[in-house]
Amino acid sequence: MKFLVMVKASAASEAGEPPSPELIEQMGRFNEELVASGHLVQAAGLTPSAEGARLLWFEGDQTPQLVDGPFAETKELVAGLWILRGESVAEIAELMKRAPNPDRSAGTVEIRPLAGEL
Amino acid sequence: MRFMVIMKASEQSEAGEMPSTQLLAEMSKFNEELVRAGVMLAGEGLSPSSEGARVQFSGDSAPSVVDGPFAETKELIAGFWILQVRSLAEAVEWVKRVPNTDGAHHQIEIRRIFEAADFGDNLTPELREAEEKARAAAENNA
Repeated sequence: MKFLVMVKASAASEAGEPPSPELIEQMGRFNEELVASGHLVQAAGLTPSAEGARLLWFEGDQTPQLVDGPFAETKELVAGLWILRGESVAEIAELMKRAPNPDRSAGTVEIRPLAGEL
Repeated sequence: MRFMVIMKASEQSEAGEMPSTQLLAEMSKFNEELVRAGVMLAGEGLSPSSEGARVQFSGDSAPSVVDGPFAETKELIAGFWILQVRSLAEAVEWVKRVPNTDGAHHQIEIRRIFEAADFGDNLTPELREAEEKARAAAENNA
């Protein structure tokens, strides 16, 4: 099975603060481990929502409305993602408990199985 | 530039209702177009959040796992694409054409993916090289 693992945004990620050299290094090492164990398919970080946009379709609309970022609800935004291969949500959750967090920040990582994946 | 295009969840997607045959057919045609144009790097649907989990970090204490489902349907994600295009405007033009045969209210968010150049000096040449190696090796896991 494959999973989308999302790191939720924080005030720091939304402010466009670059990750510290320490975090970059630890994340690099974590990703190398995930590659070596056969889990990592893809990893990516997203720029702040200020650089993004949304398209909204209202009921029955054929043409969407365009709204430029930034978007307010920081904790619901995504700041980064992994696509991982694994056997179960529980296995991926165990891996993610070890995700580097050198600044000891509070945060949430969401794990979702991809539909139709074996 | 790479962009993550995020399809937000709806009550139907969270309830596990499958898209209609017509919508599936149109979506598959749209995806074929993305592939033909050379812009689609990935495109996936997610199962409802009831099948997912969250790992919560609270600072000093050990992380805890919370099983889905999660309540705030409109903030959840039901699917995504990763597109390779020249600009946000080009991504917007593609996303405007996402099939919406069911005429339901929905929302799609477009977010740029960081490139190595964005990290400046914090990404040292050694770290950059290690990252490129890991990226190439990860393709074997795809």
